[in-house]
Amino acid sequence: MLLKYGIRFSFFILLIIPAVSCSPRGGDSDADKGKLVINLEGGGWGYPSPYTHYSRGPGVFKMRLLFDSLLERGEKGLIPWLAEKWSVSPDGRSYSFTIRKGGRWHDGESLTADDLKFSFEYFTLHPPASDELSAYGRNFIKGCKVIDPHSIRITVDSPDATLLAKLGSTRIIPRHVWENVKDPKKFDSPQSVIGSGPFVLTGYSREEGSYRFEAFKDYNGPKQAVDVIRFIPVSDSVLAFEKGEIDLTSVPADLVKRYENDPGYTIIRNPAFWGYRLLFNIKKKPELKDKKLRHAFAFSINRKELVEKVARGAAVEGSMGYLPVDHVWYNSRVKTYPFEPAKGKELLSGRKYSFTLLTGNSRDEVRIAELLKISLSIAGFNINVKSIDMKSRDAAVRSGDYEIALNGHGGWGSDPDMLRRVYSGTVRTDASPSSDAIPGYSNSEINRLAMMQLREMNSKKRKEIIFRMQEIIAEEVPQVPLYNTKGYTVFRNKKYSGWRHMFDHHEVTHNKLSYIKI
Amino acid sequence: MKPAGYLITLSVVLILNFFIPRLMPGDPFTFLSSDPDGVSIVYTPEQIEKFKGYYGMDKPLTEQFISYFSNLVSGDIGYSIYYNDDVIDVIASRALWTISLVIISLSLAGIAGIITGAISAWFRDHLIDRLLYSFMILFSEIPAFITAIILLFAGGAWLGWFPLSGGATPFRGYTSGWDKISDIAMHAVLPVTALVFARLGEFYLLARSSMITVLSKDYIRTAKGKGLLKRRIIFIHALKNAAPPVVTRIFISLGTVFGGAILVENVFRYPGAGFLLREAVLVRDYPLIQGLFLFVAVSVLIMNFTADMLYGKFDPRVRVS
Repeated sequence: MLLKYGIRFSFFILLIIPAVSCSPRGGDSDADKGKLVINLEGGGWGYPSPYTHYSRGPGVFKMRLLFDSLLERGEKGLIPWLAEKWSVSPDGRSYSFTIRKGGRWHDGESLTADDLKFSFEYFTLHPPASDELSAYGRNFIKGCKVIDPHSIRITVDSPDATLLAKLGSTRIIPRHVWENVKDPKKFDSPQSVIGSGPFVLTGYSREEGSYRFEAFKDYNGPKQAVDVIRFIPVSDSVLAFEKGEIDLTSVPADLVKRYENDPGYTIIRNPAFWGYRLLFNIKKKPELKDKKLRHAFAFSINRKELVEKVARGAAVEGSMGYLPVDHVWYNSRVKTYPFEPAKGKELLSGRKYSFTLLTGNSRDEVRIAELLKISLSIAGFNINVKSIDMKSRDAAVRSGDYEIALNGHGGWGSDPDMLRRVYSGTVRTDASPSSDAIPGYSNSEINRLAMMQLREMNSKKRKEIIFRMQEIIAEEVPQVPLYNTKGYTVFRNKKYSGWRHMFDHHEVTHNKLSYIKI
Repeated sequence: MKPAGYLITLSVVLILNFFIPRLMPGDPFTFLSSDPDGVSIVYTPEQIEKFKGYYGMDKPLTEQFISYFSNLVSGDIGYSIYYNDDVIDVIASRALWTISLVIISLSLAGIAGIITGAISAWFRDHLIDRLLYSFMILFSEIPAFITAIILLFAGGAWLGWFPLSGGATPFRGYTSGWDKISDIAMHAVLPVTALVFARLGEFYLLARSSMITVLSKDYIRTAKGKGLLKRRIIFIHALKNAAPPVVTRIFISLGTVFGGAILVENVFRYPGAGFLLREAVLVRDYPLIQGLFLFVAVSVLIMNFTADMLYGKFDPRVRVS
């Protein structure tokens, strides 16, 4: 009797799953016949509206496929997108944008300057999941005026060299959809994903983590290079790539050889915009105020070994000027610190120092920490490694509860104003690991240059200041950039080969231009 | 356990459920502002305070607890910070996948355990018993996720018989209801098999020992003496009395199977609550962690209660006592 009931019950459960669980948003495979369909690794990154996507890379870029911005990130810098031209007033307080005529929303309505004004004002009132409109802890927009149906002028409270990119990256949302939405975080109807971008959302399953985007037929920007982009759940991305389920994947350095001599595959190396650094808490360990001690650290760390053993060669040593080698404003003339433990020992003058190194618990972080411990011990440092989960490490770093810490994060290709956030003691720390300031460190020259570059609206002059800052930072060593990863991406070139990087980001699938004919 | 016992257990679970996530270092907004994938999303302290206010996390802990408890009574188990949706909806969309996986696995493991246990007991000390015994001991020691990885490579990648991941083929236009059912069943084969292997040994051992006890009873000897068929003696007369302890164990082991399901779902990227729980803990989404633990706790309590009831039904001696 028991067996009979058991079998019946199991079968019943199996039958009711499809009836109640399957997403009604699933697409139709027949509709994709004859179309160029790109399959990529999926995952739950939220419903791609500006308010409901998850605030991490894969969530942000899916939303950006649907919602266009005034400017876009090209391979070398900002490029025109919704805006065909723009200008900045000489005092840096006024920005004018003129958009292309004939722009349409996915529901067929026309896109006008009213929508631009509405978007900036709405985001000021309700900051979206990835908010571009704040600087120094507050929204910087002072006013927004429609000049004509296709032009807008935005005034800001103070000149700031980073604002053009921020204004240009802000998503434009349709006024007719959002003007009556009081709580945008809870607005998740299909209307909330109506944008003016090159793709339309045609399928989404939250529990499966699958998305289907189809080219928007009435798009008046550059033509789409693919018809359909599908993100599907995979258990292991390399396995799924091998089985042909997905068309592109990141591969570990040890696996690259497998694809090297096969003409059906193309391997690209990602720019070095993700990296690890060793943070010093000078407030907690005042002995680190001594530049000699910081130099001793720099000479006693074998960064080449870290690249070879931990990153398996798929990385470059970090620049002591902080901006990595692939950054558009990287200064190659900054001071370098080759691995010379004898020099480190000499700088310590026979004194012994003990530090607790706080690290996350990922495999790579633990390996780095162990190798640091070994190489630093040669010079006379005694390092105790304390490994905790990533979230706890982030919290400890944020509250300054560490002596020295290992931290890994992206964003190394961003605007060089990050030097101000990281090295200028005058900036309040926010919650991002990529902008963890160095507790207890302040250098008047760095602070002065940091503010000067921020106010400098002339790009050439600003670049010179940033180059000078990198030189001082490399001499000062307020922290040690360890290495920046240069991972491998492999794709099947016969199906599609339009993958490209943005000038400031390491992931080709996150680049809207990868799916566009340009 | 009496109803009062269940009530006390539930209250303790609710209290722990509220405080444990909050005792962990870090908060949901530190993660939101970190950028492991390379896109810098920087929240200022003002914005974080605003978010905390929005989610009611700026209030004192006692006030948050009272609000959590009163909302719970009115059926509101919270709003997920990371997923931007009602916790109940986030869990509901995944719970059925996990419940189905767990129930099917437990049922199949129970049935297979009872049958193999009965066979082993009947052929006690014969070759078949020794083989089964060694095989089951070996399998009961392998964690579910290792079996899952082996199955993924063997059944999914190498042989290509089953899909590698997910609960259904994304964006497949189903031609009929049967097409849909078979697609979902194909996706469930490997995760279910991994979980069945994980529990099978336990049920087998219990069924075997229970059966050995029953087979030594007088009425079995009588049945043998009457010349009844071997199959009839085992599966009709003996099994009826040997099965109750296994059935109880099946219900009691529900909590452990949920634990196993978390790992197996992560291997196969199965869209269930186990996969969700991992994400929720990583991002410190307190309301979602609370909701998921509550879901697991209530499921286990319901199953324990059912086990109590069923045991009484199958074994009248328990009911009388």
